[in-house]
Amino acid sequence: MRITVGEGSCGVAAGATEIYSLLEQGIKAFGIDCMLTVTGCIGMCYLEPIVNVTLSDGQLATYVRVSAEAVGEILKLLCNEENNAEQYLIAQQDQENLDAQQRIALQNCGIIDPENIDEYLDAQGYQAIKKCITELTPEQVIDEMQASGLGGRGGAGFPTWFKWQSARGSEGDKKYMICNADEGDPGAFMDRAVIEGDPHQLIEGIMIGAYAIGSDEGIVYVRAEYPLAIVRLELAIIQARERGILGENIFGTDFCFDLAIKAGAGAFVCGEETALIASLEGERGMPRLKPPYPAQKGFLKLPSNINNVETFANVPWIIRNGGSAFAAIGTEDSKGTKVFALTGKIAKGGLAEVPMGTTIREIVYGVGGGIRGGKAFKAVQMGGPSGGCIPAKLIDTMIDYRSLAATGAIMGSGGMVIMDESTCMVDMARFFIEFTCNESCGKCTHCRIGNRRMLEILERICNGEGQDGDIELLSALAEQVKDGSLCGLGQTSPNPVLTTLRYFRNEYEDHIYNKKCTARQCKPLLTYTVIDDLCIGCNLCAKRCPSGAITGELKKPYIIDNEKCIQCGKCAEVCKFAAVAVD
Amino acid sequence: MGCNCSENKKWECSDSSIDIALLEPELAKHAGSPINLIKVLQKAQELYGYLPLDLIVYISSALGVKPAKALGVVTFYTQFKTKPVGKHLILLCRGTACHVNGASGIEEAVSEYLGVSEGDITPNGLFSYNNVACLGCCSLSPVMMIDNKAYGNLTKDSAVKILKEIEMREASLCG
Amino acid sequence: MNEIKLTINGIQATGQQGQTILDIAKEHGIEIPTLCHDDRTEIYGSCGICVVEAEGNPKLLRACSTMAADGMSINTNSDRVIQSRKAALELLLSDHSGDCRPPCAKACPAETDCQGYVGLIANGEYKEALKLIKEKVPFPASIGRVCPHPCEDACRRELVEEPVAIAAMKKFVGDIDLLEEAANTPPIAPATGKRAAVVGGGPGGLTAAYFLRLNGHEVTVYDAMPLMGGMLRYGIPEYRLPKAVLQKEIDAIESLGIKFCNSVRVGADISLKELQDQNDAVIVAVGAWSSISLGCPGEELGGVIGGIEFLRGIDINSKSLAGMNVAVVGGGNTAMDACRTAVRLGAANVYNIYRRTKNEMPAEEIEIRQAEEEGVIFKNLTNPIEVLGKDGTAQAVRLQHMELGEPDASGRRSPVPIQGSEETLAIDMAIMALGQRLNGIGLQELELTRGGTILADEHTFATSVEGVFAVGDATNQGADIAISAIGEGKRAAEMVGLYLKGMKLGHSSEFLSSTEKTAEDFLDRQKQQRVSAHERDAGVRSRDFAEIDLPMPEQEAKNEAFRCLECGCRDYFECKLIDYANRYNVEPDKYRGLVNHNPKKDEHPFIVRDPDKCILCGLCVRVCDEVIGATALGFVDRGFVTSVKPALGADLADAGCIACGLCAQMCPTGALTERQMIAKQVPLAEEYTEGACDKCPIECKMKIAVKGSLKLRALPAKEGGLLCYKGKFGFAGNAGELESLKVPAGIQQSLLEKIAKANGYDGPMPEN
Repeated sequence: MRITVGEGSCGVAAGATEIYSLLEQGIKAFGIDCMLTVTGCIGMCYLEPIVNVTLSDGQLATYVRVSAEAVGEILKLLCNEENNAEQYLIAQQDQENLDAQQRIALQNCGIIDPENIDEYLDAQGYQAIKKCITELTPEQVIDEMQASGLGGRGGAGFPTWFKWQSARGSEGDKKYMICNADEGDPGAFMDRAVIEGDPHQLIEGIMIGAYAIGSDEGIVYVRAEYPLAIVRLELAIIQARERGILGENIFGTDFCFDLAIKAGAGAFVCGEETALIASLEGERGMPRLKPPYPAQKGFLKLPSNINNVETFANVPWIIRNGGSAFAAIGTEDSKGTKVFALTGKIAKGGLAEVPMGTTIREIVYGVGGGIRGGKAFKAVQMGGPSGGCIPAKLIDTMIDYRSLAATGAIMGSGGMVIMDESTCMVDMARFFIEFTCNESCGKCTHCRIGNRRMLEILERICNGEGQDGDIELLSALAEQVKDGSLCGLGQTSPNPVLTTLRYFRNEYEDHIYNKKCTARQCKPLLTYTVIDDLCIGCNLCAKRCPSGAITGELKKPYIIDNEKCIQCGKCAEVCKFAAVAVD
Repeated sequence: MGCNCSENKKWECSDSSIDIALLEPELAKHAGSPINLIKVLQKAQELYGYLPLDLIVYISSALGVKPAKALGVVTFYTQFKTKPVGKHLILLCRGTACHVNGASGIEEAVSEYLGVSEGDITPNGLFSYNNVACLGCCSLSPVMMIDNKAYGNLTKDSAVKILKEIEMREASLCG
Repeated sequence: MNEIKLTINGIQATGQQGQTILDIAKEHGIEIPTLCHDDRTEIYGSCGICVVEAEGNPKLLRACSTMAADGMSINTNSDRVIQSRKAALELLLSDHSGDCRPPCAKACPAETDCQGYVGLIANGEYKEALKLIKEKVPFPASIGRVCPHPCEDACRRELVEEPVAIAAMKKFVGDIDLLEEAANTPPIAPATGKRAAVVGGGPGGLTAAYFLRLNGHEVTVYDAMPLMGGMLRYGIPEYRLPKAVLQKEIDAIESLGIKFCNSVRVGADISLKELQDQNDAVIVAVGAWSSISLGCPGEELGGVIGGIEFLRGIDINSKSLAGMNVAVVGGGNTAMDACRTAVRLGAANVYNIYRRTKNEMPAEEIEIRQAEEEGVIFKNLTNPIEVLGKDGTAQAVRLQHMELGEPDASGRRSPVPIQGSEETLAIDMAIMALGQRLNGIGLQELELTRGGTILADEHTFATSVEGVFAVGDATNQGADIAISAIGEGKRAAEMVGLYLKGMKLGHSSEFLSSTEKTAEDFLDRQKQQRVSAHERDAGVRSRDFAEIDLPMPEQEAKNEAFRCLECGCRDYFECKLIDYANRYNVEPDKYRGLVNHNPKKDEHPFIVRDPDKCILCGLCVRVCDEVIGATALGFVDRGFVTSVKPALGADLADAGCIACGLCAQMCPTGALTERQMIAKQVPLAEEYTEGACDKCPIECKMKIAVKGSLKLRALPAKEGGLLCYKGKFGFAGNAGELESLKVPAGIQQSLLEKIAKANGYDGPMPEN
């Protein structure tokens, strides 16, 4: 009998650690004969904490939103006592949504114990690298990658085999295989899930790449905000070394490879290849000019290859199952599967790995279960600060590189932030530009100052101080920033502005000319009024109003003075009777 | 700096609570290796909570990095703090999903409760409060992380409750 | 090496594999602007100015970092390129704060470089100060005396205590010029063979004539009066501007070879048409010579005279006003001139009649004070309603008493009559000094404004008649101060120059960065009172027409000049940013927003930092690290608030700086400048002489920036060369400061080795 507790960061945040120790105590106390382990994130974050129980007959039961009471019921079940555990079982629909996914990168996530190499080995782990170094030449590995059609999962979709080939072709005895785990797009956590849930698969992918390009040293650059991922990856590396999977003469061959972790220190721009290299070298993470490309002069001016976590995570599967099997999934220009992080106003947030070519609708209303609270789907933001907002009318867009680019958004690393009618698109654009401003390295003019100026224009629009001509100024400046910036961060930073201008121009106009925010998000544009019929005259709003704008007599409807009101929204927030109307 | 008499004397940081001996093994490991600057700085911050200016100079000279570059690195990355931090570090996620799900309200509540604004330390030294780009726990948004533990599905009330609990724990520790 | 062929702007160009587009363009004489690139440092690519387009490439390319490839077709000046550069410059300027030019110079209608000449005076370089003034104004001594000095109104020293006495400085050096055998005048350009006529020999006309002549044109000035000078001669009393001073300056103008024709009234004695026929261009600068009348009954009486007419008469035929009561109506400078002239002519009582209080008087404070000292009786808050007379001669004036009412839209309190409150003042003479208007006789060909003045384009000065230009009091808004006419005269001469070359008349106003300052910004300045003029005693001076102010002693003038706050940017004459900004016609105002401010640090003996002007090109940081190895400067923070700071926030002098000055030399703006090796820092267009360093046996060849006898700074003789701190800053004999510098020996030694190598020196290496 085996019990697993999903302890990805999301599970932990939902209380999985406590659940684990309750189970541990119970198992000990009742002397239950079973194995209790942790696993990574299965992707159904909205159901955390999740406990899987595999009974001795092999039957699997998944318990979700597990509370202390639920643990009690599960323990009763394990002791064969009468119990109510059934009510915590996963809903059929949710199970179907999980089963409907096609999992390659996430194949072991949430299933195996990421802290135990044996569980990975049992799941065909390290078979692919063994095959490579014992049966295939590096060229054959690259051929297999070419056949798979795998494109970089960091966002741009650049063919992986091509990168590997150019790094292989670069002159030099010493080459570096670098894994970009600086997953910085807000709203994206696919890579975190992979490292936390299946670190060995990542190590194996990196090793295969290293063999292909002729590298004996690898580095994983993990962002500092992922402490758990760093711990699990460190542990995995140690275990792999102990088993001789990392180190000298691996599997008895000439192939030698070792891997180190470098933790980022909090800079989104380090997701850009050249900035990442600068950071690895102990410098400010400021992007450098290309060429020379990292394949020629990368880390320490030596040939280097950089791939994203999810890209590497696909590699062992491709080697085991053949490039053509991978290429059979997906569309003409986008092969394989893609992991998406579904967040925002979605009913069932989490991770979903689906074949390329799935439509946005299928994801939102399938795996995602539609919009939270039954509200109307308004847009999806794809690709983070580099991406764009795709409006509801384009919900049937297929998710592949070409179709998404046509909308003005990008595939990006896989973050999908779902928005409903209560999301203000101008505020969204402001949010992303603020993000870029905070993360701009400050090197080049357009990005450093241009984004700041865009933010200022957006801020004044959101504050009800937008002026005639602001839309034109904003879009002209956005184009200039796109054109004039040095690295990907600056070149793509105007995308959220440009796409919202393209699809939601009316909202901008509403803010500027009618001083109105229909999503009711931009506080300075709102007016607050007491609904007389609902107000019981409890005085709470008046007490909490910081500007003394609310007056009235107890037990009679209160009045808000719009002249004095500073639109802080406190009144509407504290009112227990929904008697404050916001418009 | 070039004074001979101090050669045998151990270096002392302006912040007397900093025991440089704790860092020496790391420094020895990476002596003369500028590429490990960030790693050593991270270690130092892990040990001491923050990086006083003279410690940065000390580290940079051990690693063979010019002080101007070291300060450039320290100020580039948001992780590094040059001022002392509170006992508990609050990282409030300002990622997209959290934003969409009302992180601004949490921000208001936290800073109102603590009485400090983003980037500051509470007068009692208990909390440092910072916003961060994204913690990657988007499906539980809004989220904050305190001392590497994530707290999800926050509401204004639950966020304040978490802070209160930590305060109570601290109070009981002090007796 | 592999040769590659490409086209740049349609021109065939060749280069080597591995060369950048920027390099190849440069070799072919095609300039691609850049702010962050220098051959001495590694390619960086931050400024975004050097962008170009390559055919078939959808992206803009940075010329500094893009390797040229065979067959490329590059466009360095397409619309898209220009728009991108313009946007980059506008963004940079939106976060760049400083004053390209000082407020004084910007306030001067003639754009006189006030800070420049005040600074030169402080350094004792009077002749250069004079030359600088004469680049804009041909009569320093006269204007120094009469100008109401808008420069001083703008002077920020006011925020400390009082403005610098800029006009007095001008007078000071102007007077030195008068003592010279021959006045200092710039050289005359080779003859163009073109002829121009100037109608009117006042400040505007003579200035136009002066600059036309300097540009090599033949010039004739026509004037209706017997002597040149216009209002400077006929409108300003002797005691303020001695005729001898004015004449000397007019003589100097004439001596350039300008033909003067006096007592010729254009329109009566010669027609405009005739002038046009005889000349290639005409500038009309006839001035405004009639007084505006008040329009009250009795103005036609004998003894009632206009202010202008009264003052003009003084020169020709001054008769005594002994025992007479004189009323002067009006509150401007002309009214004060009339009052004080009447006093000097012996009038028993001189009344000034003005309907507001002294506070509202447009006349200058000093004029009012001096008039009062000289016995003028101020009848404020009175308004003449009738001049009473007998036998056609004025005998009294009836005055309505006024009070100040509510402030109007402009905030000025307008006078309102106090009903029934009047007085009658016995007078023998009434002078109406209420303003001037144009006496437009003879210029019927020219289209007039609704106000009756000549219509002239604000920027090109073109009138409705081809080839005829007009400036000064006779045009557009009418009468203004002399320095305005002088400014217009100079600019009109430039326009005529273009016209004579057959070029399109065009005007684009220069973009200049400016900042707002408050008293807070100058709290660190020690208060030092403004120099006061040496006025003759009121009792004595009011009895004669001799000049009121005595000359200012040299030391006083120098001390006063030192009070200058040095507002204008030292780098103005070399600043690449402002050069490009104007070449690309920037309009950065649209991007107005948050601006970074970092304290201006002044701690280094030789390098001056002004971080507010930094555009983060990083040249200083990079050159200090890559070329010198000192790494005294570094980047701090990231994003919009990134800044360049000395290592670890220390003073630059303590950050390992070896004072080679390379950072300042390479800084494209005024964020880093070398301190001039002179007593008072002053932005100047430098001239250069050759020199050699004598501090060590390497004997580096140097280029010394000079102005007159001042040695400002030293530069390596070769473009891109290096100097050590001794060569760079040691030429002016400032050993003390050199010794105070803590120069890290190792880095200094390696610099010396580089310098020795570059100079082909193989002798023994000098001791540091």
